[in-house]
Amino acid sequence: MESLRSKAKELLQSGDVTTIIGYAAGTKKGKTKPYFAYTPEECEKLIFTPACVNNLVIYLTRKFDFMKKGKVAIVAKGCDIKTINVLIQENQFKREDILILGVTCDGVVDKEVVYDGNTLSDDEKSIKCITCDVNTPTDFDHLFGEGVESNALEPMTGGIYDEVDRVRGLSQSEKWNYWMEHFDRCIKCYACKKVCPLCYCDVCITEKNRPQWIETSAHSRGNYAWNIKRAMDLSGRCTFCGECDRSCPAEIPLNVINQEMSKLNYEAFEGYRAGYQTEEIPPFVSFKEDDKEDFIR
Amino acid sequence: MHNLYVPHLMTIEDITVETPDVKTFQLVFKDEKMRDSFEFKTGQFGEYSAFGHGESTFCIASADTRKGYIQCTFRKVGKVTEALSRLEIGDTIGFRGPYGNTFPVDQWKGKNLIFVAGGIALPPLRSVIWTVLDQREDFGDITIVYGARSVADLVYKEELKHWEERKDVKMVTTVDPGGETPEWKGKVGFVPTVLEETNPSSENTIAIVCGPPIMIKFSLQSLEKLGFTEDQVISTLENRMKCGLGKCGRCNVGNIYVCKDGPVFTAAEIAAMPNDF
Amino acid sequence: MTLKLLKEDGLKKLVEAMNAADTRVVGPKKNEAGMVIYDEVSQVSQLDLDEIIGRYSPKDAFFPQHETVMRYKLDGTNVHVEPEKPTIKETVLLGVRPCDAAAVISLNSVFTWDYIDNLFTERKKKVTIISVACNNADESCFCTSVGYAPDGTEGSDILLKKTKEGGYLAEVVTEEGEALVARYSDIFLEGNEATEIEPIAEVADLGVSIDKIKAWLDDPKNFEHKVWDDLAAKCVGCGGCTFVCPTCHCFDLVDEPYGDQGKRVKNWDGCQFDHFTLHASGHNPREHQSQRWRNRFSCKFKIYPDRFEKKGCVGCGRCIRVCPVNVDITEAMTEISEMSV
Repeated sequence: MESLRSKAKELLQSGDVTTIIGYAAGTKKGKTKPYFAYTPEECEKLIFTPACVNNLVIYLTRKFDFMKKGKVAIVAKGCDIKTINVLIQENQFKREDILILGVTCDGVVDKEVVYDGNTLSDDEKSIKCITCDVNTPTDFDHLFGEGVESNALEPMTGGIYDEVDRVRGLSQSEKWNYWMEHFDRCIKCYACKKVCPLCYCDVCITEKNRPQWIETSAHSRGNYAWNIKRAMDLSGRCTFCGECDRSCPAEIPLNVINQEMSKLNYEAFEGYRAGYQTEEIPPFVSFKEDDKEDFIR
Repeated sequence: MHNLYVPHLMTIEDITVETPDVKTFQLVFKDEKMRDSFEFKTGQFGEYSAFGHGESTFCIASADTRKGYIQCTFRKVGKVTEALSRLEIGDTIGFRGPYGNTFPVDQWKGKNLIFVAGGIALPPLRSVIWTVLDQREDFGDITIVYGARSVADLVYKEELKHWEERKDVKMVTTVDPGGETPEWKGKVGFVPTVLEETNPSSENTIAIVCGPPIMIKFSLQSLEKLGFTEDQVISTLENRMKCGLGKCGRCNVGNIYVCKDGPVFTAAEIAAMPNDF
Repeated sequence: MTLKLLKEDGLKKLVEAMNAADTRVVGPKKNEAGMVIYDEVSQVSQLDLDEIIGRYSPKDAFFPQHETVMRYKLDGTNVHVEPEKPTIKETVLLGVRPCDAAAVISLNSVFTWDYIDNLFTERKKKVTIISVACNNADESCFCTSVGYAPDGTEGSDILLKKTKEGGYLAEVVTEEGEALVARYSDIFLEGNEATEIEPIAEVADLGVSIDKIKAWLDDPKNFEHKVWDDLAAKCVGCGGCTFVCPTCHCFDLVDEPYGDQGKRVKNWDGCQFDHFTLHASGHNPREHQSQRWRNRFSCKFKIYPDRFEKKGCVGCGRCIRVCPVNVDITEAMTEISEMSV
């Protein structure tokens, strides 16, 4: 952590960057919060602990003004860096516009867990961490922390994918009931889209009213339309940062639906996984003549 | 159980096409009793429904001295106004109102009045202009300074002509530089400039101003130059509204609810408002 | 204030009796996702009174998240309109926290300001509020800093306090409370001040002054203060805070057509959404999150007192718990209270 702080101070002092986006201690026990440092003194508050759950990449998107102020350095875990890669693929900014302060990570806390300083057990970790294979990031400008080995199994297996597979095994009507029961709880607060770094449309489709594509009401029809639509928009792009699932006040299992889409993309497009490379363009925004077509019936 | 949000039904009795994207509707209540008993005071607004599309907020553009019908003027700019502009004579719309406060016309009796408006902001003033003209003897000199971006954008063209022809009204019409046509006989210049040229006396005079924020700003400066104090100048604001009656929390400017404390405000009140509109 | 007593099985009997009398009993209940919300309860075993506070407030008992206000049908050039007349059952909110009960007073002042919103008042008329004093609080609770208390009676018809014997001492506060107690007089027995109750939760005082906060907000030059950018810098505008807040009352009126008929609905809305104040012309008075955040804070600590002479924040702490980026209203309260001279 001290090396992270000194590097951050150095970057601000030299004028290489204008803003450091990182984490600081939160206002409640065990919580951390997104933190912006503009001066070397402000870097003193930077920390990195297993309580640093937020995906700070959201602050690099067009939804915020940080990128307009100058070069930005961002503290990023392996999962966050995957999101950065997708944003670069989608021309939201260039790699040279940011400095990645990579951190190694052995898991962050799950939703209701209060971090108390002790090493996290698997049960205390966010489900995304169970299948993480980027514990030690490979793309960064500077790396902080001891090397951490990944315990991940084969891609798309274990962790959340157990539930994904279980839901896949349900009958058509059971699947329908499963999702409708969850979506019925949606209160249309749109926390999911607001915390998602990949939901950056200037005018969201829910805000368009000529015609009203997605009804704003929190009834079954409106909820179904919204949640399915967002999952479709993320298909092939979602990097499983888990922020939507974490932020949902209605406890909708958004990780399950978004990872189902990730698994489908993996199976349909020869092992494509979002965020692992910046050269390849996501499958849903590209077309190759030899693309498989056997799923078109 | 009286439900606040259910509109009254009105029939479109007449439509005037003011400009390519501005229309005036003349409306009558379907319910005979409402037709006879409906009252409002100039300055108030209503929520007009295009069923299936929603509601939109416009002032009542007709005078409160005229009974039996009301008029509203709107520009086609969004979902609801687009739907309304597709309607024809005989179609039905909804109306909730009258809401808001009013122009304190009684306080102006015996005074001179100068009306300053720009573009689509003439409708709220038209209501009070006609209310005043219907009681002409009660007021001193009446001057109207009105301008729009171009000749085509002038609204109430017939009424502008009528006001010009009247001997008891000084009518000054202007278009922005570049907006004139070869046949144009009125002035050319921005409203605040033309206002200063008209040089109304501030003695015992009330100025009523309405227009886009930038025009109001410059007009207030011009009026100040002409010797008007903030209490002598009155305006009407608009803000995004939904319920129109102080519950949905959308139209507030700081702790002022435009739908309840307004839409009519004095320049002094506007100057005291936070920059929240 | 009369004192009554519910014995150990009193609450169980009360829930059963009210259900049998076809009264809707709504209380804190764990839903299928494992979170506690206010929902219909048919047996006392469904009531979760150990949870510090439910995720959502009970405001939707009077002010539903989504309700139809009218239905219409297009008929040539004519339109038929049918106001919605919801059937509202006699309801008892059982197990509400004192902060939530106090919030009802504030909410009521908005919906009865000049124009009476019958959709709200008709529901409220049929609701009796039985709150339960808090024996536990967490770090996010701050009712004592805004002038309320974990055993406060504001807004409640009856306040229950858990006794050491496992029953409840019932403080009957209002006439509606008396009426309910009379209806179930065999379950509400005579109470005694000497009955020992479980200790009431201690809610730490933040050490802020609500008056100083208001004075700071009243000063026009603070409207554009830098603190708004700092406090809202990380806010993502998700609107979670407005939806869980018991005093937030903003709503949207929107038409939902289905062919040539449809309905007009009233849905919860939030001032934190970026298009909340957007005009059709494209002008948006609050286009930056800091402006929207300033509006919410001002609404709670200045606008509510100015307009409705009521408190806008009851210190329930839900907004703090639900915020994904740790935007903390108490942090703002402390900072502003300190800046205020």
